[in-house]
Amino acid sequence: MKQLLLTAAMIGALAAPAMADDGYLTKPRHHKNVTSSVPDNGDQNPYAIFVAPASAGKIKKDDVLVDNFNNAKNLQGTGSTIMIYHPDTEETTLFADIPHDLKGCPGGVGLSTAMAVLKSGHVIVGSTPSTDGTTATKGAGCLIVLDSNGQVVSTIAGKNINDPWGNMAVIDHGDSATLFVSNTGFGVGAPAAPDPVVNKATILRIELSTAGKTPVVKSQTMIASGLSEQAAKDVFIIGPTGLALSADHKTLYASDAINNRVVAIDNPTTLTGPGNLREVTKEGFLHRPLAMVMAPNGNLLVTNGKNGQVVEINPASGKQIAAQWLNADKAQVPPGSGNLFGIAMKPTGDGFYYVEDDTNNLSVSE
Amino acid sequence: MKNSLLLACCMAGMLAAPAWAEEPAAPPQAHGNFLVNGPMGGVWQQDQMLGDAWGARTWLGQYGVTVGLTEVSEILGNTSGGVKRTGDYDGLTTLTLQMDTGKALGWDGGTFNASGMHVHGTNLSANNLMNLQTASGIEADDGFRLWELWYDQTLLNNTTDIKVGQQSVDQEFMGSQYSALYVNTMFGWPMVPSADLLGGGPAYPLSSLGARVKFTPEASPWTVLAGVFDDNPGGLDPRSSDDAQKLDDRGTNFRLKDSALFLGEIQFAYPTVGDTQRAGDTVLPGTYKLGFWYDAGKFADQRYGTDGLSLADPSSNGIARLHRGNYSIYGVIDQALWRDAEGEKAIGFFVRPMISPNDRNEIHFSVNGGLNFKGLIEGRGDDVLGLGVAYTTVSDRARDFDGDTIAAGTPQPKRSNETVLEATYQYALAPWWNLQPDFQYVFNPGGGIADPNSPTGDRIKNETIVGIRTTLTF
Repeated sequence: MKQLLLTAAMIGALAAPAMADDGYLTKPRHHKNVTSSVPDNGDQNPYAIFVAPASAGKIKKDDVLVDNFNNAKNLQGTGSTIMIYHPDTEETTLFADIPHDLKGCPGGVGLSTAMAVLKSGHVIVGSTPSTDGTTATKGAGCLIVLDSNGQVVSTIAGKNINDPWGNMAVIDHGDSATLFVSNTGFGVGAPAAPDPVVNKATILRIELSTAGKTPVVKSQTMIASGLSEQAAKDVFIIGPTGLALSADHKTLYASDAINNRVVAIDNPTTLTGPGNLREVTKEGFLHRPLAMVMAPNGNLLVTNGKNGQVVEINPASGKQIAAQWLNADKAQVPPGSGNLFGIAMKPTGDGFYYVEDDTNNLSVSE
Repeated sequence: MKNSLLLACCMAGMLAAPAWAEEPAAPPQAHGNFLVNGPMGGVWQQDQMLGDAWGARTWLGQYGVTVGLTEVSEILGNTSGGVKRTGDYDGLTTLTLQMDTGKALGWDGGTFNASGMHVHGTNLSANNLMNLQTASGIEADDGFRLWELWYDQTLLNNTTDIKVGQQSVDQEFMGSQYSALYVNTMFGWPMVPSADLLGGGPAYPLSSLGARVKFTPEASPWTVLAGVFDDNPGGLDPRSSDDAQKLDDRGTNFRLKDSALFLGEIQFAYPTVGDTQRAGDTVLPGTYKLGFWYDAGKFADQRYGTDGLSLADPSSNGIARLHRGNYSIYGVIDQALWRDAEGEKAIGFFVRPMISPNDRNEIHFSVNGGLNFKGLIEGRGDDVLGLGVAYTTVSDRARDFDGDTIAAGTPQPKRSNETVLEATYQYALAPWWNLQPDFQYVFNPGGGIADPNSPTGDRIKNETIVGIRTTLTF
């Protein structure tokens, strides 16, 4: 029976985690799966999430749109679908399946974490395309503009656009909108070992008129440059992914995934060229910070690509409040690694949606 | 028992001083670049060798059907010890069909699963080694057989699922994330149930009809797993030493008239969804399982006959006394010990002790454990090196039978225990292709049985086993 005692002692050695602090994440929370994000064509790896601000066409206010980065073969940069979850009926339907060989989108279609739904009903989604699942065959991609019925109405491409990647920050006036989007493709080559870090990623501000059927680009301004980016065999590209605006629109926060930090750019709406990158917080709980939103308490919530956690940061003090597991899938080391991307606040502010790439699900924490 | 404790201490010692080798030289990369950038491009990134299989996976996916085909092939040979020294090839092809009934039939939460296998090649452990803790987890009788055939229904917002049908219990019970790396059988379905349940119980390559329920409250660290199955897929007489795999040679016996095998397991996993970490906390993930099985069938005494005499006694009637019921208690620990900030390198520890009664079982105690080193070589974050040990003791009652046999005038060694050391390295060529060189060393093969080729009845000499396994996912 000594073996039994040994086993019991080993099991008893488990320590319970300590609790107590304030912040958005530290209140009791409930996590649950909402819906599968896989369409009939088998696309995988949900990336972007955006909650619709208004109703139009197929979209109802508060619907949750989710796009897919991978196709049924699980090749990155080849997903072409956007799903729409209707919280009122709890139904999930296909919103759009964009042709891979879309004209005006260099390299084709592979939908990224860059997506926004505007009050006008237009959906703007980034394409960071590939044909073999790696950056060896990547194209510059584009921003695809869809109408509220999921039909492509135009594309935005050109010298300022190269693999629009991170979740967009948006100021939406109804008949016009300001979009902030990161580009992570400039100077990125095929995966290598080791993959070189290239400091050429940008953040672009796009002023858009949305009054007509087809939105019109009024101006494009690069408001940040020199951010780090890197090709990666496992995750395609690592680069600035999360963008979130302060409530007064005077500061844009960006997650710098490679350097495990969050940076701030002041006066993003009026800058006429690249602004300074002010470091808000670095390392600590940040393990490849990806998508980012601002919680109702003014703190930033950023998902970690490397461990399944969401991290809460006070942007004023730079203090990292806590990190919480949204995904703890033990199939990865460490648990949850590689599973989180998009995050979006619920309209009620009492929770947030997130995607889980290991199970291809939209989930909610509330 | 002393030996078991010594082993535990030895393991603790390994834990206390986890040697982290100096950073090895980076592997040659030109090859890797070719794999990534070469003409086959995406083939090396996708999860299956055939990718979408010319559109078949997508087409089937519309109907909720997924098809899995894997091949495990290996060459193993003993370079020292054993009853003879040769190399052999053995392999296993597994075909799995699953249907998501939500997609296929509009019936949400249901999964229908059917799997079959073809076992091929020869069995090194049976032919050369005669050891207890057989060298490869895929060694089995040749041929085609049905493996599992079940339906699983999730209920109550995915917190509960019930699985009914033909199941192989090793797929869920006593499982260890880290031990799954190893080639030796005991790191899969361990020694106690392998030796003590009839025909090894409903575990690879066998399976039984039954039902099991799994309950995990939402975002909870706790899981309860419980099942009841027919205990005797081959329909073995408890006194016989027949081969259950031959008695159920196609996996289609579908027996329900035998006794019940109950299994129960409570699991705790950390971290889990909703766990919160604060500044200064270091969290190393772990899974802890405590379980039991109880078999209501009859089991032969290891020493005495129905006449009360030792079965080794020349005047014994040769009919073993039968005991009602059999049971075991077990624990499984998977615990990360260290990892770097990036998660590329990590060290994990596992241990699985289990015991069963002495009188009705050949094996009384078994434990296996080890250390897994992920990403040991710079730039090879998906590779894993495993250093494992498996130990088992022959029951006192079986040893007493050996003593009786010797006393009755048949010279032979008395069995005691057997230890296997295994070192293995899983090299990930692609998500669908692993190569795994393997080394095993067996102390006291068979617990110290006589070498049938030895004219003087000497024990089988310690065995060195080397080989390589490859796993392909089509």
